[in-house]
Amino acid sequence: MPETSSYYHVAYTVALGIYAAYAVSLYVRRKRLRVR
Amino acid sequence: MRISWLPTVAGLAVVGTVIRVVSFTPLEAKQGAAQKIYYIHVPAAWVAFLAFGLVAIASGVFLWVRDQRLDRFAESSAEVGVMFTTVVLITGPLWAKPIWGTYWTWWDVRLVSTLFLWFIYVSYIVLRGAVESPELRARYSAVLGILGALLIPFIHLSVYLFATMHPTPIIGKPDRPSLPNEMLLTFFVSFVSFTLLYVAFVRSRYRYAVERDTIMEAAKQHA
Repeated sequence: MPETSSYYHVAYTVALGIYAAYAVSLYVRRKRLRVR
Repeated sequence: MRISWLPTVAGLAVVGTVIRVVSFTPLEAKQGAAQKIYYIHVPAAWVAFLAFGLVAIASGVFLWVRDQRLDRFAESSAEVGVMFTTVVLITGPLWAKPIWGTYWTWWDVRLVSTLFLWFIYVSYIVLRGAVESPELRARYSAVLGILGALLIPFIHLSVYLFATMHPTPIIGKPDRPSLPNEMLLTFFVSFVSFTLLYVAFVRSRYRYAVERDTIMEAAKQHA
């Protein structure tokens, strides 16, 4: 079996990072609107 | 602080999915750990297609009935769809490298047409930012939203119509899925979790659009 775990770790880290960053961006945008 | 149930459930479902993938799903014999990228890559592609398909439907109905709620929904779904397509375009090459020996090939129709889909909906977002009149913005973007989604069936069928390195589906084909039950269950858990995450993101993004439009309207009346 080939050693391919580093690609799998990077893929999950990047994908989950993108989802988390988008959730934060939605929260920040709505917060900023309310401050206005 | 009020806790919103849908994002909480969606977030917990995604965490549960990752735990199941990491700890309770067997390694595939030939590909090893890289095959586990499947559980994040394929559901992201499904959600991207769902998101853009719904943009097209909402846009088509908007052009007919001119209801602002449909335009806001299309705007929200397109943005979330671009985010999921970004995940597809990053996780795909990371899976391809150890299996195909390369991150990307420009002659592969499935890969390049998915990149085109991403560009079309990025253009959709840019167009919305560039047109000031809300009526014109909604009309122009509805047309682009419908045209962009025409790529979806082409992308789906590209693996059958052209010689590509990308494999044909192992689930959602006429005969039985070619996955053992443990892997199949993980796939369905992942499929449901990321669909739920899409719904949570679109709902939140839609609420942002409603609040923004309310503020803009109030500012216009004060001016």
